[in-house]
Parts: sequence; structure tokens; C-alpha cells
Amino acid sequence: MSPLSPWTTLSRWPLGWGLAALVVVVGLGGGSLGALLWQARELHPALLWEEPWLAAVLRFTLWQASLSTLLAIGLAVPVALALARRPRFPGRRLLLRAMELSLVLPSLIALFGLVAVHGRRGWLAPLRDALGGLPEDTLYGLSGIVLAHVFYNLPLAARLMLQALEEAPAAQWRLAGQLGLSRGALWRALEWPRLAPLLPRLAALVFTLCFTSFAIVMTLGGGPRSSTLEVALYQAMKFDHDLALAALLALTQLAICLTLWLLALSRGGPPSLAVGAAPGQGQGRWWRRDALGLSRLTDAFWLTGLAALLLPPLAAVLVAGLGGLPDLPRGTSLAPAALRSLVMALGAGLGALALALALLSGSHWLRARRHPLGAAAMEGGGQLILVTPALVLGTGLFLLLRPRLGSGWEGYGLVVLVNAFMALPFAMQVVRGAIPGLSAPEQRLADQFGVRGRARLRWLVWPRLRRPLALALAYAMTLSLGDFSVIALFGSPSAPTLPMLLFQQLGGYRWQGAAATAMLLLALVVAVFALLDRLTRRPPRHPWPHSASHEIRDARLP
Amino acid sequence: MPSKAHAAGLALAALLAAGAAQAGETLTVYTYDSFVSEWGPGPGIEAAFEARCGDCDLEFVALPGGVDILQRLRLEGQGTAADVVLGLDMNLIAEARDLDLLAPHGVDLAPLALPIAWDDETFLPYDWGHFAFVYDTEQLETPPGSFAELLAAPEDVQVILQDPRTSVTGQGLMLWIKKVYGEQAPEIWARLDERVLTVTNGWSQAYFSLFMNGEAPMVLSYATSPAYHMAVEGTERYQAAEFEEGHYLQVETAAMVANTEQPALARDFLAFVLTPEFQRHIPLGNVMNPAIDLGDALPAVFDRLIAPESLTFSPEEVHEHRREWIREWLNAVAR
Repeated sequence: MSPLSPWTTLSRWPLGWGLAALVVVVGLGGGSLGALLWQARELHPALLWEEPWLAAVLRFTLWQASLSTLLAIGLAVPVALALARRPRFPGRRLLLRAMELSLVLPSLIALFGLVAVHGRRGWLAPLRDALGGLPEDTLYGLSGIVLAHVFYNLPLAARLMLQALEEAPAAQWRLAGQLGLSRGALWRALEWPRLAPLLPRLAALVFTLCFTSFAIVMTLGGGPRSSTLEVALYQAMKFDHDLALAALLALTQLAICLTLWLLALSRGGPPSLAVGAAPGQGQGRWWRRDALGLSRLTDAFWLTGLAALLLPPLAAVLVAGLGGLPDLPRGTSLAPAALRSLVMALGAGLGALALALALLSGSHWLRARRHPLGAAAMEGGGQLILVTPALVLGTGLFLLLRPRLGSGWEGYGLVVLVNAFMALPFAMQVVRGAIPGLSAPEQRLADQFGVRGRARLRWLVWPRLRRPLALALAYAMTLSLGDFSVIALFGSPSAPTLPMLLFQQLGGYRWQGAAATAMLLLALVVAVFALLDRLTRRPPRHPWPHSASHEIRDARLP
Repeated sequence: MPSKAHAAGLALAALLAAGAAQAGETLTVYTYDSFVSEWGPGPGIEAAFEARCGDCDLEFVALPGGVDILQRLRLEGQGTAADVVLGLDMNLIAEARDLDLLAPHGVDLAPLALPIAWDDETFLPYDWGHFAFVYDTEQLETPPGSFAELLAAPEDVQVILQDPRTSVTGQGLMLWIKKVYGEQAPEIWARLDERVLTVTNGWSQAYFSLFMNGEAPMVLSYATSPAYHMAVEGTERYQAAEFEEGHYLQVETAAMVANTEQPALARDFLAFVLTPEFQRHIPLGNVMNPAIDLGDALPAVFDRLIAPESLTFSPEEVHEHRREWIREWLNAVAR
């Protein structure tokens, strides 16, 4: 049975909004690529296999991205399970905050932290020496690239899995407890069904991020042996002004990533019927039965591992930042830059959220009417900008909007827009689970009571959307908060954002000040996540008493 | 339609620009972002020029680097908003000239104090520097004195390089080795590769994320880098190694856009470039050598920098061979 939600049964507007959003996204992505192709005129696809190093780059990129994805997702599963099993332990909140941080860290800062810890003279070096026999240069080469990608993506994957696990209604866990289900049975009955629909999309997202990763692959790769398509694209575009080659490379990247996305999207199927938790409640007023015994050891292992991966590099940034506080620019540019960054991030975050809702409700509408391909296409459209190289996007927009753009306020507006599109896949990933709306029994009950239209939206849909929406907004906002690549495309009058200030400081040898700016950026990111979490933590006024709602949910337990 | 939106945007921008220079003319200068940062030379130069012209407003538009300035100019073509571009280095001059968008500067070149002769009528140098390997004296007591010594150095003498496809310094090293070794360059690249810790995409990653973390004793940078460490941080720890083969030279230039709406102001600005009021912001602001003799105004630490022989290709040679040389490098090291 497909979970038709009230607003999809009654009206066509989800489809309309979805289509409108799709047109904007595809117009922007396709338009800029089209403009490039139109300027380039001739394409020579044969170059892809005739140029030996290009083929090698492609092979290497596929290999490192697959390996990174496999490790990041594979390790995220036990981490998420352990976190879900242990709703209370000292430092849990800190760990969650750190998980949110790592994804949005500008690569330059992440690299600094990783090198400070894992580098040849990093914090771990004495340990390595003491153990003896370990190679010194593990950070440079494939192992370093994969480490950095796991550092970036494991927390993201685990965070989203945790969200899915926590959405399981408390009653299901209680029942599982009463039935005395073993760990294996719990996994089959409760955990796997929640994670399974998530995995294909998560894997596609992580793969895309690793495939297009630029600074990390180059810096830790050890040389041009490990490189990405985007480097070749950069050279083609900037030095050689070879738009044909640039367009060819962009198309290759697009083809690979979009194929993967469509594959993942066609696999996801309708999201699990069990969605419909009492929002914001989670399980966790009691200890789970399976939290005892051997799992104490294994959970401790996974959680310690996560902490060891995440915390030291962040601590390294913190230490350097504290040391650099006295070198921060005095007053003039720092506060305005932070404010400018926040305002732009809010714009981009809200934009991403609106687009995500439109696309998801549109695709849900289509799926409910048995148009899985249309639904997949609509969802896939949302990923288009992420897989379009930023350089292509910037240049294409220029060609489209010539003669002039990017000066002053138009420039800022454009940056906000592009940032919103870049954050869209993340927002969609977070909100997606909550979109299907009500389960069938809830719907029937709501219909019987005549709760429809705005009231249904307000009392039944909104309560379960608000927390995912807050998390999505936080991700989207902080992604654009840390963004440098987009704003660099358009250039700026001498009013920098925070990441630009950071790069300016580095360009001017202000290492300590830059470290302090980086720390400030991290603090802002934490503040955004914490604030949005706090605002939505308390359950809203609920339309019916909890006891009644439990009965309804209990009715559809397996 | 677009013009309406554009006009509205401009009106808004003008409104928000706090009406600093309502009646005055605005000179728009495209440059790179470390130039305009508050500790870079930009703010001082802006104040000095605005005081000089009285009623005008100097507005910098910051792009990530010299290549981006060229790219922006190419995309905007005749419609460019720039009146002056500042930050095209010698290796981009030929490409920029081919755009047919720039006009002669008309500035007397007599005050120039470059290590090489300069008579270009379009591109006006405003600073220069040599590419060099900067080393950490706490990790390396005696640095190599030549490429030959670097190649023969013990295994733990490793260097951090930048990619010639994405970085100005990386491209500098490519040209440097090509100039010194010519036909032999691929072989040298392959041998140098054993000394290389990693090749980053940009100078900031190499210098900040790696070198300052002590990952390798040497990094590809500028001969002027130690000036900053000595003058501002007060440390002698980081020095440049002088190579007896000579060092590749970088000259950064400014040029005016041919169909600017502010030709007189643009010319004034270019004339201003070779004055001490402009140049005194260069040494510690941009951490480069000034293009004129500053006399006593030159910070004392600049006397303690290395003064190597200068190596150059002509801009046309670079333009003609860049792609081929990058391929040569790729094929020498990417196997």
C-alpha cells in the first residue's frame, strides 16, 4: 500500500511546486553547461581514452571514491547503531556536534587538522615511533585520501542513519523489549528496515562528494598520479581556455554521477511505512535490553573509534585558533564578515529547504501515483548542481547572463542562489524520511475526525517535519557558511565573508590569525546547529494525548 | 528587462554604499584577494590614491588569483566593468594581450628597478620576486645550494610542491626547471619526484597546512617569504635557499582597459603605481620586491634576502609552450 498523504490526495500542487523547482535547478545546471557547449562548438570525446593520463585519472578517481564510500558507509552503520543503542552517555552531545562539524569544515581547515594529527610530525607521530616499523607517510597517497574522506563522510552518514533509527516509534522498541528480541532479531525487525531505504542515496551522495573532491585529493595524493577530473578541467578552463575539453570533462563527471544517482533512486522504493514517530521523542527514556552484555564492549569500541577519528583534528584546529586569537584582525572586518556570512547562509539555507520540500513532495506525489521514473528524475534533478563542477557553473552563468554580472549585490545574490543549490542534496537527504506524511491508520483516523487541509498540515504533518527541517536547515546553512569555492567564482568587492577572510589571511601569511578565524567559523557552525536543535527539541503542543497516539501506532506493529 | 533589474540593483548598491563618493567618479580595479585584504597593500593604496585625486572612489574587485582576472576579462570582453586590471603576472601577459582589450599605459618607465630590462607599453610592473625553496632552519641546517644538490640530497630532505595546473608558484617551478635543464627537464622531474612529499593545488595548502605543521623541511614559495617572517613575526627560522643555477623571476603587472569610461582616471592610477606612495605598501603588504628603488623606505629585512640571478622566458614562449610543458611534467611524474 502506498502511503498517500492528505495533501497529495487532495491537490496537484505538490507536483506543480516540484516541477517549478525542477525547472529552476535544471535550468541553472543545464543552462550553464549548455552555454559552455554552445561556446565550445566542437567536442572530441575520443580524447577521454586517447589521452593516457586522463584515463588514469578517471580510473583513480573511481577507485578512491568507491573505496572511500564503502568505508565511510560501512563503518557508519555500527557507529549509528551504537549511538542509537546508547541514548545517554557522557559526551554524547559533544560527539553529535563534532559529527555535524566535520562535514561543513572548509577543506583547508580539515587538512590542517588532519595533518597536525596524522602528519609526519603530527600528534600521533610519537605513538607511531613507539610502535616501530610503521611507515611514516601514511597520510600521503591513497590511504591519506581515504582517511580524509572517511573523516568527512562517515559522520554525515552516521548522523543521518541515527536520525532514521531514532524516528522509530518508542512503542516498537518497547514491544521489542517485551518480546525479548535478540540482537539479530532486532536488526532484522527494526534496525535494518529503517536503514535500508537510506543506504543507496547516502552512498550516492558520499560517492559524489569523494568523486568531486579537489583540494584533499591533490594535497594528500602525493602528486599528479592521484588527481581528479576537476584539476584537468581547471587547467582547460583557466590557462588553455579550452572550453571544449572543459565541457567534455564536465559531461563525463555528470554522466558518471547522475547514472549512479538514478541507480540509487530507482532502488530506494517507497520509504518505509513505519515512518510516523511521535516527533522529537525518540526512544530513550529507558535502557534497551540489548544495551547490556557484550554490546557494551562493541559499542564502546565503535564510539571510541569515532571519537578518535573526529575529535583530535578538531582539537588541533581549536588549539591553533586559541593561539591565534591575539592576531585576529582588530574589529574592522571580522564582525561584519561574520554577519555577512550568516545572512548569506540563512538565505541559502532557506532556499535549499524550500527547493528540497518542493522536489520531495513532487516526487512523492509521482511515486504515490506509480510513476517511479518520474519520481526518480525529480529527485535526481536535485543533485544536478552538486555534480556540476563549480567552475563550469560559474563560467556558464557568466556566458548566460553576460554582459555583466557578479558585481556588488547581484554577485552576493548569485552566490546565495548557487549555495542553495549546492546544499540541496543534503537538505533532501535529511528531510526525505519525514516527507511521506501520515501512515494509513493515522490517515483514516484523521479523515474520520475531519482533520484536513491546513489543520492537518499544522497538527499532523508539521510536528513530524519540524526536527528534520531544522537539521536540514542547519546543514544547508553551515555548508554555505563554510563555502569558498562559489564566492570565489564571482569575485567580490572588498567586503569579504568569513571564509574569504580566512583565505586572505593565508594569502598574507597571517597563519595564526587564519587559525583563529577558522576557529570562529567552527564556533558559528556549532552555534547554528545548537540553536536549531534547541528551538525544535521540545515537542510541540500535541493535538491528542500521548496515550491515545500510542494505541494508534501500536495497531500497525508487525 | 535585464537592464531594468540591473538598474535597480545598481541603485540599491549605490544606496547601500553609504554615499561615500556621490559626485565623484569610480575607478574599478580587478585584482586578487590577498591584495585587497586589510593587511595587504590595498587599503593603504586606496586611501593614498583617493587623497590624491580628491573626489574619486577607487573600488577593488577581488578574484582568487591572476588567472582568474584573465578569465574574467576574457568572459566579459568589451562589456567588462574593469577600468584597470592589477595582478597579471609575466606568464599571463601574452594571453591577456591576445584579448585586444587593453590599452598602452603611457607611463615613464625610467623609475623602474627590476632585475631585467622592461619596455612593454601595455603592462606596467608593480612588483617582482623570485620563486625559491623556503626551508625550516630547525629541520635543515645547510640547505641545498643548487638543483643538483637538491637532487643528490639525503632522503629525508623532502619538499612540498604545488601543481603547475592550479598554482602560480607551481607553474613558476615548471618554467624554472625547463629554463635550467631544457631537453633534460623530464628526467629531472622524475628524479625530483623522489624528493617530493606531495604536490598541493595551491600555495596556501602547501605553506599553511603542511610546511607550518613541520611536514617537510622545504616548500616551494618566494625568495621574499622570509622577509615576512623576519619583519612581522620576528623569527629567523624560515629562510630561502639560494640556487646557483639562478631563480625564475615573477613580475606582476597592471594594465588599463581600452574602452574604459574613465580613461583619465585610469591613467592617473597607472602613473601612481610607480610612485613611492604606492610602492611603499608593497614590501610587507604584498611580501614582494617593490618595482622602484624605495631607498630608506625599504624595510631593512629586504637587505638580508637572497639576491639570485634571474631566469625568464618571454611571455610569448610561455604562451606557446605551456600546454606542452605541463604534459611533459605530467608524463614524467604521473606514472
